[in-house]
Amino acid sequence: MKSSPPTSTHPGSILKTKLLISTLLLGLGNASAVSLTVFAAASLTDAFAEMGRAFDAKTGNTTTFQFAGSQALRTQLDNGARADVYASANNAQFSPLVKSGLVTGGQPFLSNRLAVIAPKNNAKVQTLADLGKPGVKLVIADKVVPVGTYTRQMLTAIDKSGAYGRDFSDRFLNNVVSEEPNVRQVALKVQLGEADAAVVYSSDVTPALRHSVRVMTLPTRFNQSASYPIGTLKNSANPEAAQAFVKFVLSGEGQAILKKWGFLKPR
Amino acid sequence: MLFLVLPVQALLLRGLSAQFFPTLLRPVVLDTLRISLLTTGCTMLLTVLLGTPVAWLLARYDFPGKTVLDTLLDLPIVLPPVVAGVGLLLAFGRSGLLGAPLELAGISVAFSPAAVVMAQLFVAAPFYLRTAKAGFMAVDRDVEDAARTDGADRWTVFRFITWPLAAAFLLEGLVLTWARALGEFGATILFAGSLQGKTRTITLAIYSALESDLAPALVLSAVMVLVAFTVLAVVRRLGSAHTWR
Repeated sequence: MKSSPPTSTHPGSILKTKLLISTLLLGLGNASAVSLTVFAAASLTDAFAEMGRAFDAKTGNTTTFQFAGSQALRTQLDNGARADVYASANNAQFSPLVKSGLVTGGQPFLSNRLAVIAPKNNAKVQTLADLGKPGVKLVIADKVVPVGTYTRQMLTAIDKSGAYGRDFSDRFLNNVVSEEPNVRQVALKVQLGEADAAVVYSSDVTPALRHSVRVMTLPTRFNQSASYPIGTLKNSANPEAAQAFVKFVLSGEGQAILKKWGFLKPR
Repeated sequence: MLFLVLPVQALLLRGLSAQFFPTLLRPVVLDTLRISLLTTGCTMLLTVLLGTPVAWLLARYDFPGKTVLDTLLDLPIVLPPVVAGVGLLLAFGRSGLLGAPLELAGISVAFSPAAVVMAQLFVAAPFYLRTAKAGFMAVDRDVEDAARTDGADRWTVFRFITWPLAAAFLLEGLVLTWARALGEFGATILFAGSLQGKTRTITLAIYSALESDLAPALVLSAVMVLVAFTVLAVVRRLGSAHTWR
C-alpha cells in the first residue's frame, strides 16, 4: 500500500500518521500480503503450523489453519466452507472435490507410514501378535478417516500373510474400544494411558508424544504408504497466494520442515 | 423469530423424507437408539436413587458447608461439557486419581457404556437435584407434621405425604435430566470414546455420520427435534400441574 508522506511536522501528528499507517498495514497488509486459510489433515498439525510461520515470515501473509480429519474437512468444503488451500491425508477424501470442481491440483507432497504405539508405562502389548489377544484395549480411527482406512488395509495385509493367523483382523477389531474422528485423538488416548495400543502415523510420534509412548516394530510388508495430495480451492479469494503456499510446501524449504516432523518424500 | 424457526424446519424437511423409516431401521441407527435409551435409562435410575435423598437433605436440613455443597452440585450445569469430560478422565481414567485403585479392583470404566452413563450423570443429574430440592421445599410442613402427630413414622410420612406432593417437581426434574443426558456430547466423546453398538450415542452418531453418510445424521437429527418437542410439552404440562396447588 502506497501512502503519501506526512505533510505536517508536528510530532504528535507524525506519530498519529505512523500509527495510522501501521494499523492499515496490520489490517489490510500491503498489496501482496493477504490472509490465507488452509484446511489440512489433523496429522499435519505441527508441521503445517511451522510451515505457516515460515511462509508468513517470507511473504508477509497471514496464514490460518483448520486441522481436522480429512473427511470432516471435505464435508465442510462440500457444504461451502471458505478456504484457499486443502491438504488431505488420502485421495479418497480429495479426488471427489476435484471431480465436483471445487478443488484444482492434487499433487502428492509427502508420504507417511503407519506406526503402532503403546503407553510407556503399560507392558500389556509388546508385539504385533499381542494386538489380537483378548482383553487388550485398542483405539483406531473411524473407517472414513484416512488413517482408519490405512489401518484396515494393514489388517488385510497381515491377514493375507497368515503371520498371526487368518483371523487376526477379527480379533484385532474385537479389541477396538473406540473409533476416533481424527488421528490426533487416537494418539491422545494412548498418551493418556487409556488405550493399551493404537495405530497412528509415524509422524504423529512427535517430540511431545515421544516421552510417553513406545513405538512397536511394524514390518514393512504390513505397513501402508500414505500419500497426501494438496490443491487450491477454485473459489479462493487469493488464488495467487494459495498457489504460492502450495509451491512453498513443495519447495526445498517446505520439504525440510516436513522431514523434520517425521514425514517422508512424496512417491 | 425466523432465525429460531428456520433451522428446526430445515431439519424436519430434510429428515422426514421418504427415506425416514428405511434409514431409521438401519442397524447403525438402531444401535445408536438402543445405546442412547439404555444409557439414559441407567442415568435416570441412578439420578432418582442417589439424587432424591440428597435433594431432600438439602431442602430440609441446615448443616455447615451446605451453601458450598449446594454450589458444587450446581457447578456441572454451567461447566462446559468438554471440561466435564477432561475432569472425568483425570479422576476415573486409567492414569487418573482413582485409576490405580479401580484397576486393582478389576474395574475399567473408560470406553465402556458405564463411562457414557457417568458422563451423562455428571452433566445431567444437577437438573434433577435442583428441581427436586425446590419440590421438597414447596411441600407444606404442616401437612407432614399432622401426619406425624397421627403416629406416622418418618418413612411413612415421606412415602405418603412428601413424595406425592413433590412428585410433579420430581418428574419435571427427571424429564429435564433425561433431555440433557440424551443430548450429551462433549463429555461423552472425550471420556467414553465412540464405538458403534457400545458407546456411540445419538449425538456421537450424528457427528460421525455427517462425515460420511448424511442420511442417518438427518434422520437422527429429526428424531431429536421430535423428542425435544415432546419433552417441552411434558415439562409445560407438569409446570402447570404444580402451580395449581
